[in-house]
Amino acid sequence: MQELVFTPADFVAAINQTLEFAYPSVIIEGEISSFKVSKNRWVYFDLKDEEASVRFFGTVYSLPGPLEDGMTVRVVGSPSLHARFGFSVNFRSILPVGEGELKKAADLLFKKLAAEGLFAPERKRPLPAIPQTIGLVTAADSAAAADFNKILNERWGGVEILLADVYVQGEQAPTQIVQAIEHINGLSEIPEVLVITRGGGSAEDLAAFNNERLVRAVAASRIPTLVAIGHEVDTSLSELAADLRASTPTNAAQLLVPDKKHEQIVLANVRLSIQQSLESVQKEALQEVKNQREFLSRHLTNLSANELEKIRSTRKLVKLYDPRALLKRGYALVSVNGKFVKSIAQVKTAERLSIKLADGTIKANVQEILKDG
Amino acid sequence: MANAEKPKSYREMSQQLEEIMEWFESGDIDIDEAIKKYEEATKLLDEMEKYLKTAENKIKKISTAK
Repeated sequence: MQELVFTPADFVAAINQTLEFAYPSVIIEGEISSFKVSKNRWVYFDLKDEEASVRFFGTVYSLPGPLEDGMTVRVVGSPSLHARFGFSVNFRSILPVGEGELKKAADLLFKKLAAEGLFAPERKRPLPAIPQTIGLVTAADSAAAADFNKILNERWGGVEILLADVYVQGEQAPTQIVQAIEHINGLSEIPEVLVITRGGGSAEDLAAFNNERLVRAVAASRIPTLVAIGHEVDTSLSELAADLRASTPTNAAQLLVPDKKHEQIVLANVRLSIQQSLESVQKEALQEVKNQREFLSRHLTNLSANELEKIRSTRKLVKLYDPRALLKRGYALVSVNGKFVKSIAQVKTAERLSIKLADGTIKANVQEILKDG
Repeated sequence: MANAEKPKSYREMSQQLEEIMEWFESGDIDIDEAIKKYEEATKLLDEMEKYLKTAENKIKKISTAK
């Protein structure tokens, strides 16, 4: 039997083939040491225990957030032999292990992002009142999705929900959720609000929502965001980066839309109040008409009283000029041939005069005409 | 109605209703205008109540994987 002789390149290829077949994907848990990021892109570190140390290599893109030496993490990756740099595990995802480590990692990320102003209150945008379209990023068959939709249906109608079904825990969760956020933000008709939610779980289950890429995607969304992760007590960095945080999926639905039962009562009150407003306007208008009528009638009464007074005094005046009154007082009206005599020039001697007194007429002949003076 | 083809959203109707209520509260009100506004408000209220009783939510699943 001939001995098998490799070239170095062939040997590397053969080893990699073997590794790929035997260990397409490995999960290794250990303590980080010699953590290093090169050119803001390449990440190197070792995982070690008391007896061994293994090299890891990958990109910052696959980091959950800032890490440091001494943290215990679980890394998913593929072992390979590099033609020049030797053996390493190419990591795909890293997750701190245990509540303490997860919290430490989240604290590191919080500090980093807070320094960038990602959680600043002035970044928060108001959510639209009564949205007509909602982008919903969650696990479609989860209790969280069921709770959210149930409460939304109970409270309000006419909303279109665009549901992006994603993993909300595990290795693939951050990438899927980030893709969903970016996809919905890229739609030609974007929904009015973006809801990202999942129900309660262990710190490890909720860890995806403390992933740096996900937190940044939430902060970068041009659609206002509402994030509700876990129970009341859980606060993830995604929630802090959101425009609004809800304590639970149920609470998210409550914050988004009003309750139609309550709204119906409000409408009934509005109806009543507008009706009363109109009635009071009508009443006022009626009162105004009444006031004007009274004013006019009072004015008319005054007018006619004045008129009557005028007539009465005129009548008195007229009476004063009545010739009959003069006749009664002893004056006489003298006429000749039907004409009143106002001057001695009108009469001649022996002419026949008619002298009218109050109670009759005297016919007389002119005997003599004497001129005054 | 001029814009009968596109139904108004509840939010729009709600805003219009609010404007009418503010108008009624502004005082110095003309009765003809008041009757017109009242009819407008009644129509809005009818539509809003109908919306509350009949509108349903729709869920559309979208694919977001790259």
